[in-house]
Amino acid sequence: MNTRSSDAARPPSSTGGIAAVGDAWNRFWFSPADSQPLSLVRIGAAAIALAAWWSYAADLQAWFGPAGVLPADTVREWRPPTGFSLFDWAVTPLALNALFVATGVVFALLLVGFATPVVAPLAAVLWASLLHRGPILAGPADDGLSILLWCLAIGPAGEYVSLDRWLANRAGRPVPAAGWRASISEGLLQVHATAIAVGAVLAQLKGDVWWNGLAAWYLVTGPRSGAAGLVPLLERSEYLTNLLTHGVTAFEILFAIGMWCGPTQQLVARVGLVGWPLVGLLAGEPLWGLAMALFALPLAVRR
Amino acid sequence: MSRPINNSTPSPVTQAAVTVALSIYLVGLVLSIVGNTGSGSSAVVRTIKSRLFSPWMVPPWLDLGFDYRLTYGSDEDGDFSVEVRRQGDGEAAPVRLPGQLTGERAARWRRLARSIAVEDTDRDGLLAAAVGRGMFDDVGADDVTVRVLRTPLVDRGGPPSAPVQASSARVRMVGGELQLIRAEPRGEVAPLVRSGASGDPSDGGTGSDGEATR
Repeated sequence: MNTRSSDAARPPSSTGGIAAVGDAWNRFWFSPADSQPLSLVRIGAAAIALAAWWSYAADLQAWFGPAGVLPADTVREWRPPTGFSLFDWAVTPLALNALFVATGVVFALLLVGFATPVVAPLAAVLWASLLHRGPILAGPADDGLSILLWCLAIGPAGEYVSLDRWLANRAGRPVPAAGWRASISEGLLQVHATAIAVGAVLAQLKGDVWWNGLAAWYLVTGPRSGAAGLVPLLERSEYLTNLLTHGVTAFEILFAIGMWCGPTQQLVARVGLVGWPLVGLLAGEPLWGLAMALFALPLAVRR
Repeated sequence: MSRPINNSTPSPVTQAAVTVALSIYLVGLVLSIVGNTGSGSSAVVRTIKSRLFSPWMVPPWLDLGFDYRLTYGSDEDGDFSVEVRRQGDGEAAPVRLPGQLTGERAARWRRLARSIAVEDTDRDGLLAAAVGRGMFDDVGADDVTVRVLRTPLVDRGGPPSAPVQASSARVRMVGGELQLIRAEPRGEVAPLVRSGASGDPSDGGTGSDGEATR
């Protein structure tokens, strides 16, 4: 298992198989890590959260209001029994609007990094609640955002580029030392980046179009594609269509593996910063692409 | 801004507790991927996940399989929209969603429309009924038709296709009770066998207008 911190911070290795695994585990999860990358993830995740939150705004009452198309009773029957939403209790238009606005305010506070230790978990709870209120409306970007927010809730995401930092500087408090909570957060981001890439590849390889090379065609001509400009090119060249299709699959596989190989780790993460948004654009899921790039961000910017 | 890396590590007790928590979560993550892919995971995996992990992974929205296929080029990957109109009034302008909407807002309406067409049939038209009920005020009637239209994906070298009806249901309020009358596709309606008829299924007569009452 590869570590994400400097060699100097590594404790001495033990000998023996189990001890070696234990050492690798401890190095990966508990070596002190700088939280600066986590702060950058916080800004990106909060920006995506605000965009996703805004996509509910105009139809909030039409979906979840007392006379909306998704009454709480119907949704309770739809979602898993343990699903839970604070929005279920917002049974009047005023209460629904108030809770929704409060959610937006929490995301804005997360963006600027104010009271982050409280705001980050609150943002994760409110986002999960909003998704559980209408699970039918949720997409891949919403899933990715949920994981990002929980990772931010675990680690110190407000220590840099934040109002918290500015207030601490004014009060003369020093920059906190690197800690293991940042390491846990960044480790979970890395694990989930891999898990999502693996899950996507497994799902795609069950479809013929990902083997015969036609998937890219259906993606760019799909209803949401942000790459419709490629249609004339793909129309002219079957090879290009195949190349694009297999390029997406190869990228996802290389990303999932390369994130764990020391020599390629940072390069792969940096490629992910560009590659995932492009895949998201191609698939008509731009917010998902951006969220995926954020998973790779800590490794990409690590010195 | 740089700072020295110190060797602050958690206490052994904290480290052990966090290790246990992480291990449990990672097992849940793996089971979620294996169990949610729809690839026919074993009943044991599904049972373990649903009994031991889902109860605490579902509420924070972490019970995710990440089975993002993006497209299979199939009917289910087409463009879905929902149309609600006053029942029996062909002149009335229907409410169509997402219509001209764009971006993530439109995507959410598409997911709703797709769920009505693809998943709602297993749930007794729960969503179609809710959408019809929720649109009574918008169309100015308490008897409406909820249709989901699907625009098929364009095959390579093929012409664009016109939208086709993916599902249709009549939703009405009668005596304070909400009723759903689903229009089944003709192909799914059993043929009516009349005495004296040839009995040849290829005759194709359904003996009905294709509308079935639930």
